[in-house]
Amino acid sequence: MKLVYRNLVRNGPGSVKLVPEEEDDLWHAYNLIVPGDSLKAVTVRKVLREMASGGRDAERVKLNLEIIVESVDYDKEGSVLRVRGKNITENDHVKIGQFHTMELELKRHFILTKDVWDWLALDTIQQACDPTASADLAVILMQEGLAHLFLIGRSVTVTRARIETSIPRKHGPAIAGYESALNKFFEHVLQALLKHIDFEVVQCVVIASPGFTKDQFRDYMHLEAARRDLRKIIENRSRIILAHAPSGYKHSLKEVLDSPSVMTLIKDTKAAQEVQALKDFFNMLTNDSARACYGPKHVEIANDRLAIQTLLITDNLFRNSDIATRQNYVRLVESVKKFGGTVHIFSSMHVSGEQLAQLTGIAAILRFPLPDLEDIEM
Amino acid sequence: MPRKVVSGPDYDDGYDDDYDEYDDDYDDYGETGHSDVQHPVKEEKVSLKKSSSTVSVLWRCSMCMFDNHENMVYCEMCGVFRESFMKSAKDGSIKVSRIPSDFGTPSMLKSDSTKMPVKTRTTDFGGDPETKNATISHDKVNSTQSASVGSSSSAGKKLKEDQSSRAGSSTQNEDVSQKLSSDIRNLGLEKNEVDIAKPYLPEEYKPEKWMFAVEESGVLSQLNLAIVGHVDSGKSTLSGRLLHLLGRISKKDMHKNEKEAKEKGKGSFAYAWAMDESSEERERGVTMTVAVAYLETKKYRVVLLDSPGHKDFVPNMISGATQADAAILVVDACTGSFEAGMDGEGGKSVGQTKEHAQLIRSFGVEQLIVAVNKMDAIGYSKERFEFIKVQLGSFLRSCNFKDSSVIWIPLSAVGNQNLIKIPSDVRLTSWYQGFCLLDAIDSLQLPSRDVSKPLILPICDVIKSQSTGQLAAFGKLETGAIQNGSKVLVSPCGEVATVKTIERDSNSCEIARAGDNVAVCLQGIDGSKLIPGGVLCNPGFPVPVSNYLELRVLVLDVTIPILIGYQVEFHIHHVKEAARVTKIVALLDKAGKPSKTAPRFLKSKQNAVVQVTLDAPVCVQEFSKCRALGRAFLRSSGSTIAVGVVMRVLGQDHN
Repeated sequence: MKLVYRNLVRNGPGSVKLVPEEEDDLWHAYNLIVPGDSLKAVTVRKVLREMASGGRDAERVKLNLEIIVESVDYDKEGSVLRVRGKNITENDHVKIGQFHTMELELKRHFILTKDVWDWLALDTIQQACDPTASADLAVILMQEGLAHLFLIGRSVTVTRARIETSIPRKHGPAIAGYESALNKFFEHVLQALLKHIDFEVVQCVVIASPGFTKDQFRDYMHLEAARRDLRKIIENRSRIILAHAPSGYKHSLKEVLDSPSVMTLIKDTKAAQEVQALKDFFNMLTNDSARACYGPKHVEIANDRLAIQTLLITDNLFRNSDIATRQNYVRLVESVKKFGGTVHIFSSMHVSGEQLAQLTGIAAILRFPLPDLEDIEM
Repeated sequence: MPRKVVSGPDYDDGYDDDYDEYDDDYDDYGETGHSDVQHPVKEEKVSLKKSSSTVSVLWRCSMCMFDNHENMVYCEMCGVFRESFMKSAKDGSIKVSRIPSDFGTPSMLKSDSTKMPVKTRTTDFGGDPETKNATISHDKVNSTQSASVGSSSSAGKKLKEDQSSRAGSSTQNEDVSQKLSSDIRNLGLEKNEVDIAKPYLPEEYKPEKWMFAVEESGVLSQLNLAIVGHVDSGKSTLSGRLLHLLGRISKKDMHKNEKEAKEKGKGSFAYAWAMDESSEERERGVTMTVAVAYLETKKYRVVLLDSPGHKDFVPNMISGATQADAAILVVDACTGSFEAGMDGEGGKSVGQTKEHAQLIRSFGVEQLIVAVNKMDAIGYSKERFEFIKVQLGSFLRSCNFKDSSVIWIPLSAVGNQNLIKIPSDVRLTSWYQGFCLLDAIDSLQLPSRDVSKPLILPICDVIKSQSTGQLAAFGKLETGAIQNGSKVLVSPCGEVATVKTIERDSNSCEIARAGDNVAVCLQGIDGSKLIPGGVLCNPGFPVPVSNYLELRVLVLDVTIPILIGYQVEFHIHHVKEAARVTKIVALLDKAGKPSKTAPRFLKSKQNAVVQVTLDAPVCVQEFSKCRALGRAFLRSSGSTIAVGVVMRVLGQDHN
């Protein structure tokens, strides 16, 4: 994301002009834009015009519109951000108060005006505009018969492909069926790899699986690359590494990111910090369960007693359409920070964030044990 | 399951009882001590006598296996009416074998296997529900009594009579039914309603004559034997060696294996290669998927399921070995290797000896042969053998294996000691006089086979049949029976297909009954609909397909506690699916009573009721209705975190 200008007062009104540059930025924009803000951008609208003859003529017009946001939608597969709202600019084609849905596009600037720029919004902009924190990693997570291809960006993990085939077990002479089914499976994975991974963007490709499937696949891939002269793979041989994973399901991704060889590649990124923070939380829960808590109510109580050392919270709690609830969470985060705690805001698009979201979306590691939390209804 | 006061009427199910903290039923009546622990072989006769004397007093509920008192018309536990047919759950094979051959030959088959019992139900629905219930239950009482009281020779005839009386009318039973109906009034109205509301009750299922085994000379009953243990303990080598010694591997093949193994510099793997056929497995010297082999002992047709021991392949082991009736746990006797199998590498995690033992117990396997392998490497030392026995024995006890059902055998697969005949090495014979492995296999007892229940065949694998080249579903019949021409419902796609051929160990056969491991070739269904993890069942009794389940689990040794939202891999019969824990309903205490509702998290060794949501629906059945489809395993981060059973199938709408 590029910040063109900003004209705002902290905790007051103001506006910013931003240019999203990569797909990740749309996710940040999604987190930034909340109902009630006003958004100005170039958009296209189909306008109907009545001709003098009584016929109708439809025309697509390019407009510069400003709308009051009513809802925001993000499609994570296609990385598209749609914002719906009521028009507030006067122009020839769209009346004031008419609804319009605009699609924010990469490389096209937009101006966002808010009544209150809270700490969280400013933080999001700062993060989005920091180019060093990016991790563009592709992970192929596989087990026999099941493979997932993920692209891991700074704050978004996208499932690009999912391949599932049934592989028969060995049965005497039917062993050939097993081998051919396995080769077919590898071929599908290889095709997905060629289609979805752009080595210009992706720093490195991790192939992870339990057992030997990863080695088998790597061998197959290199063999095929040599045979079919797939330059893409031959030239990037050194950027393809192997890692161990407990299974081929998506939730195993956190173990892959946690493994030392991958950790060194992504260590400064948000994804790595999130994985680490969540691990700490689970460790604390195991070793000293009274010093860890989760669920809004328990966390709230812990905060009232100034007990929170580390707060883990997912970003979709802030995306709450109810402004009072959002303010509540913002206040909670601010108060934790004020009293010297650290706060990790998890991207709900990463697997660790997904796991935290399952766990009510909010959790905390405490400074001192609060055993009585156990007795309080969640 | 037995009542609190009486000791179990049969040795067979007795093993189950202590396990039912998380195994059998949930009411923990079974926690009673079975003081009369019987050795499976030696006291067979005694226990048989006992069973015949106690059977007349108790009857076993077909749904929950609870032993009810004779004068109860319905099950005390679950309200199900008394089982209709012969009590095949009891000492299955023995009883079955008593049935004389006049019982019915396959040629007199009635082809109404597809007739839905629900239809008959609805036709007489207009009548007074109370009397109807009474007559039905009377029928059942009658039949069960005849089955249990009947002496060995007349059992079959009585059954036959019973069937005809059933098929005819209930008028002749009227006087008795009237008496019974007064009993039934005491049941309470709601119970009746519940029973009527359910359209498919397995107890209404009428098995046909051909389904029961006929005493055939020279036909041995089938035993599914899983071989489990830590990686490199010699499971495949042991299986290969057994096959070789029993002449199941041709000389040519053996020679080829030996030569190839030597070329690769892995001479000791020659026998293992008989099992590990894929090039990948041979190259790495590790079994990766469960291999299936067949052999015959004096008493059984044994299906060997040689499972992988490597940590990463435990999912394969679960999906491949769930069909096991009994198991051989292979332990490496070498210094350090045994310890690695117990405590994992560096003592950090759980070794696969432990994990497999735990898993195999939760598959419902009660009889275990512990084969202490590689005795040659430690000079057949008695001290080491005893040490292993003590160490592992205490763990097995904690897994609820009974001491009496665990057989310990020192052997050497490579040295061919104590496999099929008594050992020749003096160092071993000097202190060991027990069974050799083959005798130990023969001493195992067949578990009960539910032939009289509707067909359930979980598909373990879909293979190309060798004789016809068609797709065939491979798996073990859990309950019921099939024959050529039977109609089956293929779950989860819900299509009906016809059985074309049945193959057992590459030989075609006419009929397959519960317990048999067969390949079933189907007609009238698209090959893509036939998937491993599906279930073949009776069209009248479809297996539920669901992705939202309530389980009762026992948490194993976990480092990370289980919280709401915990993501796991969910294994049930041959399916695995990603799932998450959506609700922790309650913690359970030792007696199985809820001790705390909605706990924050679950820790090691806790019993609890949880709800899980699966990413995709699977075929599943309550444990009380079908054991094989009701045992679930939760895995995470490469280890098994919990084992449990399905309490309730909560439907599919929840997400």
